[in-house]
Amino acid sequence: MFLPDYYEYCCRVKIVAGHNALENIPDLLADLNAKKPMFITDKGVAGAGLIEIVTEAVKGVDTSVIEDDVPPDSDLRVVNRLAGIYKDNGCDSIVAIGGGSVMDTAKGVNIIVSEDAEDLMKFSGAGALTRPLRPLIVLPTTAGTGSEVTLVAVIADKEKNIKMAFTSYFLLPNVAVLDSRMTLTLPPFITAPTAMDALTHAVEAYTCLAKNPISDAHAGIAISLIANNIINVVKNPSDQNGRLALANGATMAGAAFSNSMVGMVHSIGHSVGAVCHVPHGVCMAILLPYGLEYNLHRSGHLTAELLLPLAGAEVYAATPPEQRADKAIEVIRTMNQDLYDATSGRHARFFSEIKDRDGKQMVPEDKLPAIAKTALGDGSLLYNPEDMDYDDMMVVIKAAWDGVPLDRSLIKRG
Amino acid sequence: MGYQEIKPETKPAKKAYVSLMLWFVGRAIQAAAKTDDQVKKEFEGLPDRFTFSLGVMPQGPYMIVGKDKNGAVKYMGSNPHAQKVDLQMNIKNLEAAILLFTFQEGTAMASCRDRLILSGEVPDALAVVRILDIVEIYLLPEIVAKLAVKRYPKWWSPVSKNVVRGKIYIRTLLGI
Ligand SMILES: [Fe+2]
Repeated sequence: MFLPDYYEYCCRVKIVAGHNALENIPDLLADLNAKKPMFITDKGVAGAGLIEIVTEAVKGVDTSVIEDDVPPDSDLRVVNRLAGIYKDNGCDSIVAIGGGSVMDTAKGVNIIVSEDAEDLMKFSGAGALTRPLRPLIVLPTTAGTGSEVTLVAVIADKEKNIKMAFTSYFLLPNVAVLDSRMTLTLPPFITAPTAMDALTHAVEAYTCLAKNPISDAHAGIAISLIANNIINVVKNPSDQNGRLALANGATMAGAAFSNSMVGMVHSIGHSVGAVCHVPHGVCMAILLPYGLEYNLHRSGHLTAELLLPLAGAEVYAATPPEQRADKAIEVIRTMNQDLYDATSGRHARFFSEIKDRDGKQMVPEDKLPAIAKTALGDGSLLYNPEDMDYDDMMVVIKAAWDGVPLDRSLIKRG
Repeated sequence: MGYQEIKPETKPAKKAYVSLMLWFVGRAIQAAAKTDDQVKKEFEGLPDRFTFSLGVMPQGPYMIVGKDKNGAVKYMGSNPHAQKVDLQMNIKNLEAAILLFTFQEGTAMASCRDRLILSGEVPDALAVVRILDIVEIYLLPEIVAKLAVKRYPKWWSPVSKNVVRGKIYIRTLLGI
């Protein structure tokens, strides 16, 4: 067991989880003294019929203000517009239904309406918020990002072409409601990468430098919930118990990584997202085994421990201790292959096989140097067990592009 | 664990020690930017006239390093209020600064333990961390540097490392 000399941990989001968790929302709002919530969501969620499920479940609550116009890459204009609607309608709280973009937007709206701010920018950075905001209840509709328990919001200003990050414990929602009905209709080819994103949060939280006993506990259970259910759910999307397990796993992984941070898988993943616009979860699924391989000489003992939640007690016991880390990496690679098979090839296993809607390759080989360069500027690199320079980046990214295991002789050890 | 040789005990002594280290590191960065290709390259990647400060909260000491109008890297003194600073790296308190400057804790571990507060652009901060690491590798004996940086580059050629080390020491002491 690892006990650091010093650490900090904070997660004060109430979790309400179950197959009928939505029905508790009226009570939850009443507890928060909220009478007129604004419902914020996106077209995808609305189109999947989830708003009807929610409004049906929250009978008695004023549901007259529902805004479903949050784009997948939310931005300052959207936040300002929604804040205007909130004020015009005299709302007193927010219910956000959606994935990361909806939740970030809701957090942004909450800053403006609570602080009566003209300019959201004034509150960017860390520590700019000094008091609680309006009640915020979030209903995640993907089991992945963990945004329901994270204290960060990222909002783009498209006119200035910048992204603003907001960090504050006051951005934490008051309640996260995990209901299996919210993720039931998520198509398998999206379920797979989002769950792999959650798995990556837990694995990196457990193996990177800012780990602590409380985040470890969350990470370990998150991994077993996700690993035990991901393939089943992708094969049988209507498996309610499996859906709820993934939702719980993603939330626990979110609590773990927002306290102990993530490492190189996210550094490179953010960069591939920025340079080539590949969805975040797709990058995570591809890069996770490479991150563990690269760090093996540093954090292999921790990766070895993860074989237990990843593969179960029998496999763990049957694997000699010195082979457990490699076996854990192999289990994750097999997971990706199984997801590829279960989605008829829509779940990409390596960068060169990712195609956009028109069948065009999304990560052309000539973009790899730009990806490596951008990744060197990603903050999560600080928390990675081993250092990385440009050449190290290229070795990892090229292997993940080709889909071959890392050539371990190329890893520079100190 | 840790390298136990240097150990200032009282508060004024600690402050004086950290001031001296900051002064030395600041001048060493200026020297390294002239002599080491990697440091040169990292600075080239930073914006024009970029400046950063490294210091201790709440009242210092501090040191400021930056690029002047000709792009030359200069140690710019110890007063962060005398000029614009693009990136501030502040160590939360004197005790944390002592851990860092007695090399019992590296920069990466310090930030993992919430001892460093950054304000500025993250990519710039990472470049500065890489610069600090390289400078520490030159300034410190291997046994100490190994504790201070995440990965000690044992693949560097020892001959050229010692040549550059000598140059950096001379330049740092002379301030050129
Ligand atoms: Fe992620």
